Amino acid sequence: MVAWTLRRLAIGVLLVWLVASATFVMVGLAPGDAATRLSDPRIPAAARERWRREFGLDRPLPVRYAAWLGAAASGDLGISWTFHRKVTAVLGEVLPNTLLLTSLGLALELGGGVVLALVQLRRPHGKADRLITLFSLTAYALPTFGVALGLVSLFAYRLGIFPPSHVHSLAGESATGWPRVTDLLQHLVLPVTAIGVTGVGGVARYLRGSLLDERTEHYVLAARARGCSERRALLAHALPNSLLPLITMTGMSLPFLVSGSLVVEVVFSWPGMGQVMYNAALGRDVPLLLGGTIVATVAVVVGNLLADVAYAAVDPRVRA
Amino acid sequence: MSAPGWLASWPPRLRVGLAALLLLALAAVAGPWLAADPTAVLDPAAARLLPPGASRVVVTRSDGSSVVASAAARSGDGWRITRLGTTEELPAASVAQVGRRFFPLGTDIVGRDVLARLLSGARVSLGVGTLALVVALAVGVSAGVAAGWAGGVVDGVLMRIVDAFLAVPMLFLLLFLAAVFRPSLAWLVAILGFSSWMGVARLVRGQVLSLKSREYVLAARAMGAGPLRIAAAHLIPNALTPLAQDAALRLGDLILIEASLSFLGLGVQPPAASWGNMVAEGQEVLADAWWLTFLPAVLVALTVIGAALAADGLQQLARADERTR
Amino acid sequence: MVNARWRGRALLALLLPLGLAACGAKPPDEPRAARAEGPRQGGQVVAALYQDITTLNEYQSVNETNEIAIIDLLFPSLMVEQPDYQLHPPSFAPRLASSWEFSADNRTLTFHLRPDAHWSDGTPITAEDVRFTFTIQKNPNLGAFGLEIKDYITDVEVVDPHTARFHFSRVYPYQMMDANDGHIIPAHAWGKIPLDAWRSTDFESVLVTGGPFRVASHVRQQTLALERDPLYWGSPRPYLDRLVFRILPDTASQLAQLVAGQVHLVQSIPPQEAERIRKSPDVEVVEFPSRQWGFIAWNNRRPMFADRRVRRALSLAINRKSIVDTVYRGFARLANGPVLSTMWAYNPNLPQLPFDPKAAAELLAQAGYRDTDGDGVLDRHGKPFAFDLLYPSTNSMRQEMALLIQADLARVGIRVHPRPVEFTSMIARQEAGDYEASITAWDEATKIDLTAEWSTPSSTQGTNNIVGYSNPEVDRLIAAAREESDYTHARVFLDQAQQLIVEDQPVTFLFESTQLVGVNRHIRGADINSAGVLFNVEEWYWAP
Repeated sequence: MVAWTLRRLAIGVLLVWLVASATFVMVGLAPGDAATRLSDPRIPAAARERWRREFGLDRPLPVRYAAWLGAAASGDLGISWTFHRKVTAVLGEVLPNTLLLTSLGLALELGGGVVLALVQLRRPHGKADRLITLFSLTAYALPTFGVALGLVSLFAYRLGIFPPSHVHSLAGESATGWPRVTDLLQHLVLPVTAIGVTGVGGVARYLRGSLLDERTEHYVLAARARGCSERRALLAHALPNSLLPLITMTGMSLPFLVSGSLVVEVVFSWPGMGQVMYNAALGRDVPLLLGGTIVATVAVVVGNLLADVAYAAVDPRVRA
Repeated sequence: MSAPGWLASWPPRLRVGLAALLLLALAAVAGPWLAADPTAVLDPAAARLLPPGASRVVVTRSDGSSVVASAAARSGDGWRITRLGTTEELPAASVAQVGRRFFPLGTDIVGRDVLARLLSGARVSLGVGTLALVVALAVGVSAGVAAGWAGGVVDGVLMRIVDAFLAVPMLFLLLFLAAVFRPSLAWLVAILGFSSWMGVARLVRGQVLSLKSREYVLAARAMGAGPLRIAAAHLIPNALTPLAQDAALRLGDLILIEASLSFLGLGVQPPAASWGNMVAEGQEVLADAWWLTFLPAVLVALTVIGAALAADGLQQLARADERTR
Repeated sequence: MVNARWRGRALLALLLPLGLAACGAKPPDEPRAARAEGPRQGGQVVAALYQDITTLNEYQSVNETNEIAIIDLLFPSLMVEQPDYQLHPPSFAPRLASSWEFSADNRTLTFHLRPDAHWSDGTPITAEDVRFTFTIQKNPNLGAFGLEIKDYITDVEVVDPHTARFHFSRVYPYQMMDANDGHIIPAHAWGKIPLDAWRSTDFESVLVTGGPFRVASHVRQQTLALERDPLYWGSPRPYLDRLVFRILPDTASQLAQLVAGQVHLVQSIPPQEAERIRKSPDVEVVEFPSRQWGFIAWNNRRPMFADRRVRRALSLAINRKSIVDTVYRGFARLANGPVLSTMWAYNPNLPQLPFDPKAAAELLAQAGYRDTDGDGVLDRHGKPFAFDLLYPSTNSMRQEMALLIQADLARVGIRVHPRPVEFTSMIARQEAGDYEASITAWDEATKIDLTAEWSTPSSTQGTNNIVGYSNPEVDRLIAAAREESDYTHARVFLDQAQQLIVEDQPVTFLFESTQLVGVNRHIRGADINSAGVLFNVEEWYWAP
């Protein structure tokens, strides 16, 4: 198991290198560069060429790649062209914000999904089952910005219960201790709900579907024949097996944990990875983009590694 | 009117789901005969953002342009029209046609008929969404079954390809493609499909891993059945439930993702309508004209609900089969 | 803002509707209640900002559209450019310099600095700072725009601590403007930073300011709070205690918070929202003509658009007035020529191209276009008259325009394919000449020089002439206007150049934008119209 994990990690490093390199080439081939984006067409070519020199954009792609790779290999991700600060500093600032928001959102999504599915299964095809099906599907299919704006206009502007945007209120930014924490919690409610509500339907449905399947499997039937209650049979035997697709989904959500939701971040003015990477892409901020890509790739590698480990743990029949 | 026996034996979810999908498909097919030209820009200043149920007089000029008025009457040798609160006189010679038009679902930001756009958007969105789903399923199921069944190196390589696809910032790949190729529907389907097969692959692989150690598969193996045969007879049918659920939700995702490709210049090209770009365009005037966003969003939701209910029904049907086996 | 003329970063306004660089006409009447109550000290104004600032040193790098309005509150300039460019090149009011004079031959300009001016750390602001700023602006390795703006300034001489003398290589109408361009930065604090570390320095950690406000706190991507600097030496001194910028990337959120009173100032309201916001009891919508203007760029290098008759026909066939009124809901004016109608050099006698599809059809026929195959689309040499019309995909108003243009041109037998393109890709394609037509907009400088936009593109000089327009007579007139030292003489050449450009129609002139600013009614004393939204922010006060 240890050797297997180590091998996977080694392959992971290789993957990070491959993905970053592919990204480097694609950014190089996409139309326009940082100077295109930043320049006013009225600026003389001489000025624009000065900027290109500043960014090293006057050198051919392979030379730029070699320089970047050399620095990155020694842990230096360079300086963001738009923020004028270290890429690691910029990412280090926004990553915690994103993780806070997305992990809570994902927890709500998973927790809510499990609860909804179990409620639905108490009486499959009953009234509650049908209502929840309708609700979770509708929430899932609605565009995220619609859900986010709906939440804001209802709970922030109409009812005034929760703040409409930002991580802290103006007063909360300078507060310390407990008042700061409660301020943060208030600001988290709506964006976390926006993420959770749109995703909860997916989880509930996967789980309901596979639990319904598992109920007819021999071992669950056998457990019930042994006198286990329906509920116990579900929780003790069927649920663990149904977790498999859920684990896959969660593992695949790890990139989302670090890359965030652009729409939710924009609507709630939440300074996270989604916004930063989007602006970096439009501004062709190569060092920042590559830094973000590396973070996302690491998340993918780790996420799927964890999912595979969890698979083996939950279902001993799976020998990955 | 009593339903035939086979239909009555279908679970209600299957019937409701299929009915919804059928209705949407019918609307998509019959759209061009049901509504006006979805791209016609009438007289934007006077005809934009009309609420559902509005009706206006449309005066077609002899040069092909049109004027939209709230009222029109003959006066002398011309027409007197009321447009945007003012009265204008149009000489009869310049007028080709005058008629009242009903906009059952209102008009959009340049005064196009929303019903017509929803119907023609159905064609584009359902078509593109379904085809892209087929691509994603084809690629994802093949990769998933191969990885799960073969295991070892094949599994490792395939899953690392999945990882790579998940991690690469698609934005730049798409920007590059947008710069090199003229946007077309075929491209759109390919791009949507190839950017969303990874989830399918991992899901199917997980199912296959779990299933291949179950008794009936082991038994089939012991009896000397080949991998393809086992896949066809046991693995794919058993992985079908989560896959169908996944496909139903994925269809909704694909329909909405199309709109974000428009941002990169790769989506459905204007003036053509799609539900995705209608939702995105409506966002700009959400406060003034909620129906522009709401109506296409409801249709996307209806699609997802229909597909998901059908998936539920199929699952029920499969279980019933299993019980009677 | 004051020094925004070069930095009115064209095109960017398309993506981020942040038109800080804006000037305009006469001020509106101050609310009567304000005069009754009179200004009072104190209060806090919260302004919405689309994105956070990335630096407070305008010479650090290249992109300070967002930053320059805020830098203007924190750093002094020698003088303040006045919004009177309708009549003549802008005049100036004192700021760091209390007075100035030209030498007899007009080749040197001497500034007398206020002796009481000092940085926020108490160090006096001296001619050494002015000279240090000049050396930074002229440094070719720093990439700031200064190098080109300061082309004709050969040296800045420190006569004494409170006297700085600018030496010019030639005499021309914009000497004061070029000398004034850019804010003065602290030599004693920033001169210590090695120039090769300049790019990667976080100047907020070594921040020394010298304006009416100073930075109270900065939470990145969230809040930039400025507070009145109690030691500020200039006048007037701000009434407001705090001016807080809240980052709100979403327009809908900005407007909702403006209406709800959580934000007091929104700098750019989309025209389609103006009516709705106006209905809010707590918000006043102030409008003024901005310097943004838009046009359809026809790539003159393509055979399709090489013929002047064809370009004129296109302009005649498009109902420009109707399109501009419709898309901008009346909050824009029809553009007529290459100089904004609000500027002193505008030629009011320019020939106007009316909406005349019949005349357009005749011109197209003369140019050899006929519908020979009866498919409703004109053709020539067997090729149909059809082209892609690019516009930035994030801008819904450009899309509306594209659809209306498509409809108008369809009626004369021209097929237009509207093509939304990612913004940076679109500029890259325009620069490379890899397009047929595009809807483009940019911000004009208060300095009038038609060279970059309308002269024949040279292979060595940079160009804004994205359509590849070339007319030797126009080249000659523009060069002659540049050589003139007296603007009234330059005007004669500029008038003729405008005339020729309009006759050639290298582009179809579309619109000049109006900027709509949402202001909470508690804010009084705001003169939002002329040089920018925050132009007289020192005189704003909060009436409870």
